[in-house]
Amino acid sequence: MLVKGTPSTPPQGPRSSLPTALLVRLGLQTTPGRIRALATVAVLSIAGYCIVASFAIGNARDGLRVIGHDAGPQVLATSDLYFALSDLDSQVVGLLLTGREQSLGTRQQALNRYGQDRATADRAAVQAAELSAGDPTDQATVRSVLDGLGRYERLASQAILLDEQANPPAGPPPGSVIAVYRQAADLMKLELLPKAYNLTLEGGATVREAYVAKRSAMLSGRLWVALAGLVMIAIVFGLQLFVAAHFRRLLNPALALATIGLIVLTVSAVRLLSGEAGHLQSAKFGGFDSILTMSRARAISNSLLADEGRFLLDPGRADTYSLAYLDKSQTVLYVPSGNLGEYYAGLSGAMKKYLANPRAVKFPGGFYGDEARAHSGPALTVVLTRYQQFQSDDQRIRQLAGVGDDQQAIRLLTGRAAGSSSYDFDQYDRAVVSLIGLHRGAFDQAIHAGDRELGRSILGSWAGLLPFAAIGAAILIVVGVHARLAEYR
Amino acid sequence: MRRGHAAACGRVGAAVMAIAVGLLSVACSAGGAPSIVGKQTLRIGVKADQPGLGLRLPEGRFAGFDVDVARYVAAKLGVRPEHITFVPVTSANRQAALENGSVDMVLATYSITPERETKVTFGGPYYVAHQDTMVRGGDTAIRSVHDLDGRRLCAAAGSNSWRRVTQELKIAATRVPAASYSDCVAMLLRGRLDAVSTDDLILAGFAAREGTAVRIVNAPFSDERYGIGIRKGDLGGCEAVNRAVSAMYLDGTAAALLRKWFGKTGLQLDTEVPQFEGCG
Repeated sequence: MLVKGTPSTPPQGPRSSLPTALLVRLGLQTTPGRIRALATVAVLSIAGYCIVASFAIGNARDGLRVIGHDAGPQVLATSDLYFALSDLDSQVVGLLLTGREQSLGTRQQALNRYGQDRATADRAAVQAAELSAGDPTDQATVRSVLDGLGRYERLASQAILLDEQANPPAGPPPGSVIAVYRQAADLMKLELLPKAYNLTLEGGATVREAYVAKRSAMLSGRLWVALAGLVMIAIVFGLQLFVAAHFRRLLNPALALATIGLIVLTVSAVRLLSGEAGHLQSAKFGGFDSILTMSRARAISNSLLADEGRFLLDPGRADTYSLAYLDKSQTVLYVPSGNLGEYYAGLSGAMKKYLANPRAVKFPGGFYGDEARAHSGPALTVVLTRYQQFQSDDQRIRQLAGVGDDQQAIRLLTGRAAGSSSYDFDQYDRAVVSLIGLHRGAFDQAIHAGDRELGRSILGSWAGLLPFAAIGAAILIVVGVHARLAEYR
Repeated sequence: MRRGHAAACGRVGAAVMAIAVGLLSVACSAGGAPSIVGKQTLRIGVKADQPGLGLRLPEGRFAGFDVDVARYVAAKLGVRPEHITFVPVTSANRQAALENGSVDMVLATYSITPERETKVTFGGPYYVAHQDTMVRGGDTAIRSVHDLDGRRLCAAAGSNSWRRVTQELKIAATRVPAASYSDCVAMLLRGRLDAVSTDDLILAGFAAREGTAVRIVNAPFSDERYGIGIRKGDLGGCEAVNRAVSAMYLDGTAAALLRKWFGKTGLQLDTEVPQFEGCG
């Protein structure tokens, strides 16, 4: 294949357009000098490519780390923390409302659930603290939530104890109990829940920022990798042409091998970066955004349940709790309405239309409005149907309380059997959790695919492959050039 | 032949340069929608007639809790004090001011409501106030919002407060329209209406000015989350504002400002960072 021949005639004189002195100084007046110079440029271009490519791949790795392994899981842990705290409060409200009438709600069940919530809160707080290891402010916030939880528990136990001593019938407990509970409720509402919720939001903000920054860095990185690759391939190919022209050989095997290797490397790196940008995009839009929306919906929904209970528990603040309930309901699913009565009616009308044709209905706002725009489907329909059931229970509870039938209202609120508000709320919450699980699946899948591709190349991880491939190509260039230069000695 | 090769190389080189220049210009033009983040100057909408919150002083300066919070947030956004322009807004025109771009940010006792959130993005809340009711000093018959049944209630333009009473709590008060809360107070003192019901922070500012001529009934019945209104969809700006508000509570500035403006009113002041609304 190779055409053997003598080296071409002694080097021709320098081009008249360039000053001879400079060419002589750079050693470019002879063919070996030019080959050496071209080979040096080729090796430098490979080094340059390596730097550009490691930077781009580093961005991909950072993006996956922040979104998939730091802030993403942080959002889940802190929203579990919020839920456990809020549910803890709902159980205390239930215990105080039922008083001595054990038959109404089953007291032991509420106490058990209180214990479970406490354990969940601890676990979620530990996890959130671990995940926020790099952020002292977040860590301090998690610690202060745990401290506050201790204070809340003391106040709540005190209220429960006072209530047991007073042994009242079902209904709003004596003023002394309400006074102590108010301290606990304020602590929960003004300190613990806001901190947990703000941590969730901060995780969401971190993910959004990392996504915007890293994805655009990956896409421009991909262009730079392609460009640096093209330059490098053009130089090595030019070297090959120069050698071929001067030595009358069509092919220099070492240089040809280096060229092919560099083409493969460039194409795979560009494909890798495209793939990673795609995985990051599906993790964000296909999973994370909905996880965040639904986790916030779950948190606010649970505080709806707590406000419903407090409305019965503390008549002095009933207006505040009712208005908060309306605001929060509209945050969960916005239906234009001036008061709760209009909200129930608006919700029922909107749901009728939605069930008739889920794709045609656009809720004007709220978490489920956002979710319906992004990912409408049967799982969301189950969530919405059960949310409506919970709201219609609330309507009945308020009607009963409105006509003074507190006994029935409390039975409906705290009962655990099918048909009670607590039961319907649990059903609703399960549907929300299962929808979060669906999005979690899509999120994990995208992150795993990104991790797998970053870690997978012919020779192991990409970070390890790059310098190895670059050194290999440089050696091939030196070998290819060395054999030709030897002919001059 | 060599000459031709050199020329080809030159063309390739030119093409590579062209691509590189193209890439650079793409990278530089990727700016996105306007955000309050990165702005050198800020126009901030505040109230001009609410003592304690946002009040234009005779010399033209603005002063109040909202104004101080705005300065703090702007500083955290990297805007120097001399580059802030305060623009007076009313409850009626603050949303339009944001939408038409005449202000970048609004801190004007602007309660976050689900309805407003469909038009405006809210950072914060930076404080949670509570709606209460103010009556004339001599009026002892009104002890809670429910006693407004059949009474004349001020309805300030663009404000949400009267809705809380007549719509949300369905209390049958007669609405008397007014241009602003300072108008409401003036009309209350002249006997043209019986009650002004709005956030305790607003009422406290007027009460401090009017002395015993007015009385706050001290029966709060709602949570009013004071948001920092920014242009709808400015998520980066909203997140930056939230971080500034967090910092304001963490470094003690919030507590100091609350004491400075409302310390003498007897209101119970919450000095823990409120639960944010979220930017999405």
